[in-house]
Amino acid sequence: MKKNHRFFVGLAGVATVVTYLIWTGVSQTMLYYLTPNELLARVKDDPTFHQVGVKVSGRIVPGSWEEATEHTPHRFYVADLEDEATSFAVEYDDMLPDTFNDHENVDAVVEGRFREDGVFEATLVLTKCGSRYEATPEELAG
Amino acid sequence: MTILGEFALWIALPVGLWGAILGFVGGRKQRGDLVLSAERSVYAVFFLLILASAGIITAFVTDRFEYWYVANYSNRALDMFYKVSGLWAGQRGSLVFWALLLSMFSCIAVFTNRNKNREFMPYVVGVLLSVSSFFLMVLLFGDVNPFERLAFTPADGRGLNPQLQNYWMTIHPPTLYLGFTSFTVPFAFAIAALLTGKLDTRWIAITRGWILLSWFFLANGIIFGMRWAYQELGWGGFWFWDPVENASLLPWLTATAFLHSIQIQENRGMLKVWNMSLVSLTFLLTIFATFLTRSGLIESVHTFAENTKIAMIFLTFLGVVTGICVLLIAWRYPLMKSENQIQSFLSRESAFLFNNLIFLGAAFAIMWGTLFPLITEGLTGQAITVGPPFFNRVNLPIGIALLALTGIGPVIAWRKASRRNLAKNFIWPVVVGTAVVAGLYLQGARQTMALITFGVAAFVVTIITVEFVKGTRARAHIEGEGIPIAFVHLVMRNRRRWGGYIVHLGVVMIFTAFAGAAFDREVTQTLDPGESVSIQSAFGHEYTLTYQGLSSPRGQNMLRQAVALMTVERNGVPVGSLTAEKRLYVTWEAPVTEVGIRSTPFEDLYLILASLEDLGGAFENDASSQRATFEVQVNILVGWIWYGGFILTIGSLIAMWPSKASLTPAPRRAAEERVPAEPVGV
Amino acid sequence: MLGAALLAIGVMLFLLIPILRGEWASFDRTDEDPTEIGARKHVALKGLRDAEYDYRAGKLDENDYRQIKAEMSREALDAMEAAKAEVEDPDAAGPAGDPLEAEILRTRRGMAEGTTCLDCGHVNEQRSRFCAACGRPLVAVVSNAPSTGD
Repeated sequence: MKKNHRFFVGLAGVATVVTYLIWTGVSQTMLYYLTPNELLARVKDDPTFHQVGVKVSGRIVPGSWEEATEHTPHRFYVADLEDEATSFAVEYDDMLPDTFNDHENVDAVVEGRFREDGVFEATLVLTKCGSRYEATPEELAG
Repeated sequence: MTILGEFALWIALPVGLWGAILGFVGGRKQRGDLVLSAERSVYAVFFLLILASAGIITAFVTDRFEYWYVANYSNRALDMFYKVSGLWAGQRGSLVFWALLLSMFSCIAVFTNRNKNREFMPYVVGVLLSVSSFFLMVLLFGDVNPFERLAFTPADGRGLNPQLQNYWMTIHPPTLYLGFTSFTVPFAFAIAALLTGKLDTRWIAITRGWILLSWFFLANGIIFGMRWAYQELGWGGFWFWDPVENASLLPWLTATAFLHSIQIQENRGMLKVWNMSLVSLTFLLTIFATFLTRSGLIESVHTFAENTKIAMIFLTFLGVVTGICVLLIAWRYPLMKSENQIQSFLSRESAFLFNNLIFLGAAFAIMWGTLFPLITEGLTGQAITVGPPFFNRVNLPIGIALLALTGIGPVIAWRKASRRNLAKNFIWPVVVGTAVVAGLYLQGARQTMALITFGVAAFVVTIITVEFVKGTRARAHIEGEGIPIAFVHLVMRNRRRWGGYIVHLGVVMIFTAFAGAAFDREVTQTLDPGESVSIQSAFGHEYTLTYQGLSSPRGQNMLRQAVALMTVERNGVPVGSLTAEKRLYVTWEAPVTEVGIRSTPFEDLYLILASLEDLGGAFENDASSQRATFEVQVNILVGWIWYGGFILTIGSLIAMWPSKASLTPAPRRAAEERVPAEPVGV
Repeated sequence: MLGAALLAIGVMLFLLIPILRGEWASFDRTDEDPTEIGARKHVALKGLRDAEYDYRAGKLDENDYRQIKAEMSREALDAMEAAKAEVEDPDAAGPAGDPLEAEILRTRRGMAEGTTCLDCGHVNEQRSRFCAACGRPLVAVVSNAPSTGD
């Protein structure tokens, strides 16, 4: 029986290390996943929230895209999916995905932080491709 | 043909259920006639699924757009290759494809065991057909019937996502599916062992080949996915910790752990409950992987569209199977006592146990990170996500620990290793590892994790090389063979061990490639024709790319194409050219980027046409619209992933290759090489 | 559709014929089937062979090698005893004349009569402490002494 103790010690050791890694990993890299409405509400309640990493899912406001130049980043507006009146500007310095455009009905997910000046500084922009895989029968007919 | 295929699918379900029930009943009541009928059901289901698959492929090839599935994944202009592989391009067809592969492996399992292992087979058939029936039920009742027809016939289909029109993307799902489905066989034997109460190493001995085969396909499937991502997604990365990527990694992790822990059961009769749990967990993870991909539960670049009906069916199945496994293992627990214990902390058993714990720790961490948004949303109403930074942070130390173990395992003996001997065996590898780290540090490398990885990798390579050298020499000495022959015989006489070492070498190469990514460089610049951009490789030399201009040929299936040509110089010497493109396909609204890659053994020069100032004009070949923004990357050692994968393949094939028990008699050798006795004083 | 009907009938017949005609799949064990004892024997013999290679490759020092070899020989013998008990006919040489098995049987007999050197196989006189053929110390095999300290 004493021998099996070694096994459990080893198990406990590995479990501790892994738990520690997960714990610190989560606390240091986690992103709140919010809608634009929720983000604006959070920031109003708690100004320190400007420093927190967030991931926001919304709809790109049609026609709002200013393309990047050598000195300025991409800039576009993202609105809440349910409440189109709520929107804010997003700035993004890197390459946008090919699927990005500011036509109708394009959803985007942006990661980054919401600056004090009310502009979202994005480190990642993804356009949702759920619709790429399946079309509704109406879309096929049209 | 297609209509016949549709009927075949409907017939397959009752046949599958019939066989599953008869398998279990026939086994329980020892009714050989029922068992024979059940085995025939396995062949019948396979035949019917071939018909169903043929029906789908025919529909694609003959442009039958009245079928919803064909209309969504094909169009007239699509290359025939992609029409045929349309079978697995989307959700519905891929379910049929999964069922087809599962039934194929079931047939092989039944056929190869028609005169063997008869006490297990009725239950094996029962399990295999139950799983097949599940997939058929999903197909027929989950709103995902590939034969569903539209109310009208479109003139043309939507076409296949251009990013899927890539060689690697075409073989990546089949390879993964081969891995997932073939694992059902070891699982079936495990359940059969539980049901028959024959819980010794027999079920492992029988399924060892299957486990290796499944592992082989899973590993390659994952690597092919990485290759596709690297070539097609256009960001220079090959892994994004996407939920679906993670889902396919999980069963691979537990399968690798399982490959090692079964050796402990075989050698020492220990860990029986552990192995039963691990095989069940791996099977459940294969189902979980496909569930995650199809249900849209976690948003991902990969997921097929959201479908709650399927989600419920899969979840129910997962729950039921988990429950059954837990009950069976609990019921048979008394029969699975360990025959031995770990004698020493310093032993191969101990090392393998560590390996298992670490693999499971990694799997848990990845599962946690993937499901975290769901968990937090369920508990607090607020979804919290973690992304690549989390997964990289957590898995880096784990990966390094595992890498180190791949070097320690081969050297440490079973039962009890002598400390002195271990130390002796580690001296040179540690020296080499340290020298490598020191050398790189002196060259200016400062990335800690990468340096440690390189050091450990060098340590492992040294150990494995020395193993091969010592083993070959020992054999040459004992058998009196020349070195080359001795090497071949050495490997062939113990394929598991030496094949395994080769696999380890492949894994080391892949991990080294991951570490190399820490030294990647990247530069973004907007250029007019005639202008250049330079980038330095971590190795010191410099690439200069000069933008020559755009051209716009028109490829098949494409509306427009803008091809940017760059000539490449390495340290001032012209070495060729590279093109990068933006393409507009007939059936796809968004432009697609095609990168240009110049691969050399130690690095890739990676060119992305990030954006064009005037996309429309560029497509029209307008000379004044040639200004473009390029991103150039030098990706260090990325090719080592593919080379490592190749080595891993060779190693697995060697390990898998069946051999007759071939033990050269030890006493005979001892007699042959008896040294003239020196008087010792009796 | 006619094709579908034919298909359904064909499949049904294919499945029902064994039951209707009373054809049975076999439940019998065959010689090829691994038995528990057979698997254990195979592992023990392989372990012995591996231990020898490890020793010659310098991974095991001599004392450990002897100890392990003693243990494994005992296990191999136990397994073979059990295997013999399983099978009816006494086969001295084992399946297909496995030479290693034969050798171990001889060793076992030698152990019953005197002391067998595990390194060179020479059967020594009783109460010998060193092997007369190769000069190495003789290790007790038959005793059930624990292999390592508790």
